[in-house]
Amino acid sequence: MKNFLLDYNIKVRLPILLFVVLAVFVITYYVSYAERIGVGYMPAQPIAYSHKLHAGDLKIDCRYCHSDVEKSRHANIPSAKVCMNCHSIARKDKPEIIKLTDYYTRGVPIEWKRVHRVPDFAYFNHSVHVNKGIDCSNCHGNVAEMEVVEQVKDFTMRACLDCHKNPEANIKNIIPGKQNLQINNGPVNCGYCHR
Amino acid sequence: MQSKENQTDTEMHDKVYDISDKIYKDSNEVSLESIVPEAPTKDVNYWRSFRELYSDPDFIKERENEFSKDALERPDIEEGSKFSRRKFLALLSASAAVAASGCSNFRDRGEIVPYNAKPDSVTIGLPNYYASTCTGCSSACGILIKTLQGRPIKVDGNPDHPVSKGKICAIAQASVMSLYDPERLKNPVERTDKTSPKEISWGDADDAIIAQLKNAASSGKEIAVVAGKIISPSQKKLLEDFVKAFPTAKVYSYELYNDSAKNAAWEKCYGSKYYPPVQLDKAMIILSLEADFLGSDGNKVVNSRLFAANRDTETEGKFNRLYSVEGNASVTGLNADYRLILKTDLLEEFVLSLLNELLLVQKKSALAQDEAVLSKIRNFNLDNFASKNNLKKEVLDHLISDFGQNAGKSFVIAGNMLPESTHIAVNLLNEVIGGNELYSFKDAFIEHQPMSSKADIENLVSDMNSGKAGIVIHFDTNPVYNMPGDSGYAEALKKVPLVITMSEGINETCESGNYVLPVNTMFESWGDYRTRSDFYSLQQPVISPLYNTRQKEEILLTWIKGSKNEFNNEIYHSYIIDNWKAGVFTNVSGDKEFMKQWYAALNDGVVMTNAGTAQSSGEAEPAFKADAFTGINQRMTAGTGMTVVLSKSNTLDDGRFANNGWLQELPNPITKIVWDNYAAISPKTAKSLNIESNDLVKITTNGGTLELPVFVQPGMADDMTVIDLGYGRSACGIVGKDVGFNSVKLISKNSSLTPFLYSDAKMEKSSGTHKLVTTQDHYAFEEKLYKDIQYRREIIQEGTYLQYKKNPDFLSDRHTKYTEEEKEKLKVGSINEQYVHTGTKWGMVIDLNKCTGCNECIAACNVENNIPVVGKEQMGKHRSMHWMRIDRYYSGTPEVPKASFQPMLCQHCDFAPCENVCPVAATTHTPDGINAMAYNRCVGTRYCSNNCPYKVRRFNYFNFRDHFREGIQQEESFSLMQNPEVTVRSRGVMEKCTFCLQRIMLERQHAIEENRQVKGSNVKTACQEACNTNAIYFGDQNDETDPISGLNKSKLAYYVLEEIKVKPNITYLAKLRNVYETEETGSH
Repeated sequence: MKNFLLDYNIKVRLPILLFVVLAVFVITYYVSYAERIGVGYMPAQPIAYSHKLHAGDLKIDCRYCHSDVEKSRHANIPSAKVCMNCHSIARKDKPEIIKLTDYYTRGVPIEWKRVHRVPDFAYFNHSVHVNKGIDCSNCHGNVAEMEVVEQVKDFTMRACLDCHKNPEANIKNIIPGKQNLQINNGPVNCGYCHR
Repeated sequence: MQSKENQTDTEMHDKVYDISDKIYKDSNEVSLESIVPEAPTKDVNYWRSFRELYSDPDFIKERENEFSKDALERPDIEEGSKFSRRKFLALLSASAAVAASGCSNFRDRGEIVPYNAKPDSVTIGLPNYYASTCTGCSSACGILIKTLQGRPIKVDGNPDHPVSKGKICAIAQASVMSLYDPERLKNPVERTDKTSPKEISWGDADDAIIAQLKNAASSGKEIAVVAGKIISPSQKKLLEDFVKAFPTAKVYSYELYNDSAKNAAWEKCYGSKYYPPVQLDKAMIILSLEADFLGSDGNKVVNSRLFAANRDTETEGKFNRLYSVEGNASVTGLNADYRLILKTDLLEEFVLSLLNELLLVQKKSALAQDEAVLSKIRNFNLDNFASKNNLKKEVLDHLISDFGQNAGKSFVIAGNMLPESTHIAVNLLNEVIGGNELYSFKDAFIEHQPMSSKADIENLVSDMNSGKAGIVIHFDTNPVYNMPGDSGYAEALKKVPLVITMSEGINETCESGNYVLPVNTMFESWGDYRTRSDFYSLQQPVISPLYNTRQKEEILLTWIKGSKNEFNNEIYHSYIIDNWKAGVFTNVSGDKEFMKQWYAALNDGVVMTNAGTAQSSGEAEPAFKADAFTGINQRMTAGTGMTVVLSKSNTLDDGRFANNGWLQELPNPITKIVWDNYAAISPKTAKSLNIESNDLVKITTNGGTLELPVFVQPGMADDMTVIDLGYGRSACGIVGKDVGFNSVKLISKNSSLTPFLYSDAKMEKSSGTHKLVTTQDHYAFEEKLYKDIQYRREIIQEGTYLQYKKNPDFLSDRHTKYTEEEKEKLKVGSINEQYVHTGTKWGMVIDLNKCTGCNECIAACNVENNIPVVGKEQMGKHRSMHWMRIDRYYSGTPEVPKASFQPMLCQHCDFAPCENVCPVAATTHTPDGINAMAYNRCVGTRYCSNNCPYKVRRFNYFNFRDHFREGIQQEESFSLMQNPEVTVRSRGVMEKCTFCLQRIMLERQHAIEENRQVKGSNVKTACQEACNTNAIYFGDQNDETDPISGLNKSKLAYYVLEEIKVKPNITYLAKLRNVYETEETGSH
């Protein structure tokens, strides 16, 4: 009797238990992958700015606000003054614009929640990508359709290297007017990004 | 690509295995003789320290291991951290709690905070450069301050500046650390009874002080303003205005270092006040008499540039010859082609003997007819002097004949520590050899206010003692530390009713002040400076004051205006503008036009004025007055005791930079000692006193006594010692406090020669030792590999200029010393696969003919690459973090050594041995030939460092930012100083030179932006930019138009350790000595 129970435990229950634990781990690992790497992250911003309205409906070029993206490693977040170029006149009565005007007149910078992030030890360079004609949407998704910006793409090193090794397959959109620039394979050595 | 070369390579591979078989067969005794030839028979031995020269058994044992025993020592946990164990546990639990509560928001990525209104000139991520003026010392070099979104992070030279021409010294490089120093004074402090400090507001301080100033002025009490050397016209006017507002005020101008002896001699000889600038670049023969003009004497930035301009091996007649006669072993002396060793106080006799030879024997120059002059030198004789003092006769013969052949192109420079009588004799000597033709009068030095004389300072002290002086204002000076030990200044200061001290950081003078007022650094200040007659140099703030500080001129200006309410941030700026309206831009009409010009001037940093304005107008070349020479009654004669020379520190100036860790940790160019000063003595003197390095000695001059350690320095004159000033600060921040020994105590106010030279001092052995840390023999190899390594491996390759001119191929011809069999062995190819770099291939060329070993490059590298300060103790454990070092090799004998300098940094080998052994592939190659480090892959095995033939990899044994001086480098203000383009490394990772990869990436970014190829000459590494003599070239070796692709094919080019076939990408150009010998020998 005792013997049988031990046998049963070892031969049946233990494998099942192990299987279940393993399965749970594997499923959790894959299901949570997107969340872990930040896909779907959509924080609430201090001002409910709509990219859909500005970049989508009004068709303002990304580079109007993110003006340093072609000149610098960083795609800058515009300062409040850039918003005020229009909003000192346009839609002055809307609550969000009142909030904006308040920030601006007090001289306080707006603390935007960061959505996309590459770790500190990777020196990603916006300008070299954009100047080669690689459209923002290849990494950032179709921001022009987003009411609230969220991360839709993978920002891991694997994602970087996939594209660097095989740009034709991964680069879907080219910035209009830069189609004739040749996009080569990106560098895959360590030193260009980690230094 | 199966080329013929590749085929031979395959053949070579077999040979490699042959040899390795042989090596492994007699495994116990790996005989290097099988690969490299026998030890040389001729006397060429290179050595870095006495331990190496005399094969100290400890040293031999030490180098058997890759890492020094100390470096591998386990850290003491209790001592290692600034936290106690209890605190650590408390923090651990607290952080666990925080981490747990933070779990809910793990996706939070923080905020991005843009400007509210971004200035148009700012591009996020790109630096802005602002022209300004460095006021670290009175040379006032032009600088460009690199700021990143408002934070100054690096200082470079301003190429438009007519004197410094884009180059600056180590002090200016490291000055950003002084700006962000967390120990700066942050608020005005009042000490009512001079003891208990209390922070007060500026308004209260102003009110109280203005009332007292008015009181003093009306009651006739003297108000003494103790300032440094005045080099700013507006500052001078300000001080004049101060005297107008408070008529009892008196301005004193005092500096620890001065060239007053030289200037006084000049005035006697020529009538005008200042010794003029010298066109060293036109001099083909330079004789330096104890003048370290490439080191700490005078403006090294200019001198190095002018000197190296004539060190061109390729152009005929562009290679000067430097003679040095000195007692110290200085940077200049060890760079000299001929160096004679002579005790400093014998130099005057030497000059007179030279004059005797030139005038009486050779009858050069018209002065040979001047009987009055001749009578003064009749008693001297060069031959007798030479034999008495053991000077090589043939060197003196060369010198005399060189003077003869290069009339008008020879110059004699005398050190600032020499007395007036010597300088007068040297002026005469320059007249005789035509050196006077090299004086430059069109850009003469300018004097705004004469320096206070000895008598002025004595009067001040007696006024302070007698109560005549009611108020003493220290205008960012530190006289309690800087005044001679026997001046009685500190005691007298205690009797002054009101002492006001302006200072950036805590100093000795602050401690006896009623008010301590924190002042701005040069990064936060306005200013106009004028050191030469032909231009102005402007200073502008690049960051608003970090703390509650004010510019020292603003403080005085507020007092002049008489009310605290007069102060505003623009007060001194508008004061300068008013001065310029009246004095400089006089013919500009209207405010608008003026401001346009003013902003243009600020943009350039320099305003050229027409030479021939007030000071220099009509000043023809002054004539030499021979009676200055004939009128000398008292001559410098050799003393009977010990000769003590007090020299300017290479890094700390007069002690004002003592709290700057980068400067403290910069090795002395010759002794390689860090974090200390010492008495340098010759080996023979050490023997006669029965002492060795690190032993304490007591030195007594007529100024005072000082106990400090000695360092036995090859090549010093006997019976003399040289001590750096600026160390031993007793009141300073945590970094510089009590580092080294205060040698200012040895200065006497009644010094008979100059304050820096004592010929009748005493030195006696004292008990105890003080361990000096020198990096000179760090990174040595094992004995077996090392024996005669210099000769076998030819790390240093040298020749003479004549040899090169006779046979340009002499370097490669030398290899005939190998037998055919050995040559065959040396030909072995690499076991590595050939990788062909088709595009850009980065490389560096270092011209050892131009390198003076001054260390500027290391300082620049530290700032650019976020190198931490590790402290003396860690340096002693071979844990230095400098990415670059300058190896200084001696050759010849300890008594008469020659020196060779060689900057050593990562060679970025094509077949880097470090890459093969990294188990985690943290160090790999980029396609453009850079050996890169991925820090976040590194697990710290240190195999790479073990396998590096050049020993240029540095390991973070700690997070040194946390580990040094209670973690001061972790303070928030220091994080503003870091270059954001370079990772800040932490504990446990290996690091090394990256060829300034961040700058290469910036060029790549620009190239892509402009849709062009990367251009090698657009990239300048930090060391290259900093090199005063332009000895470092960097660029693309595959680009035919790049200067370096020609240079590395020069006949003088060689690779260090070429025979190990790692194919380094740094080419050295062999040093040529401009001597008469046609072959390089071990000693002169």
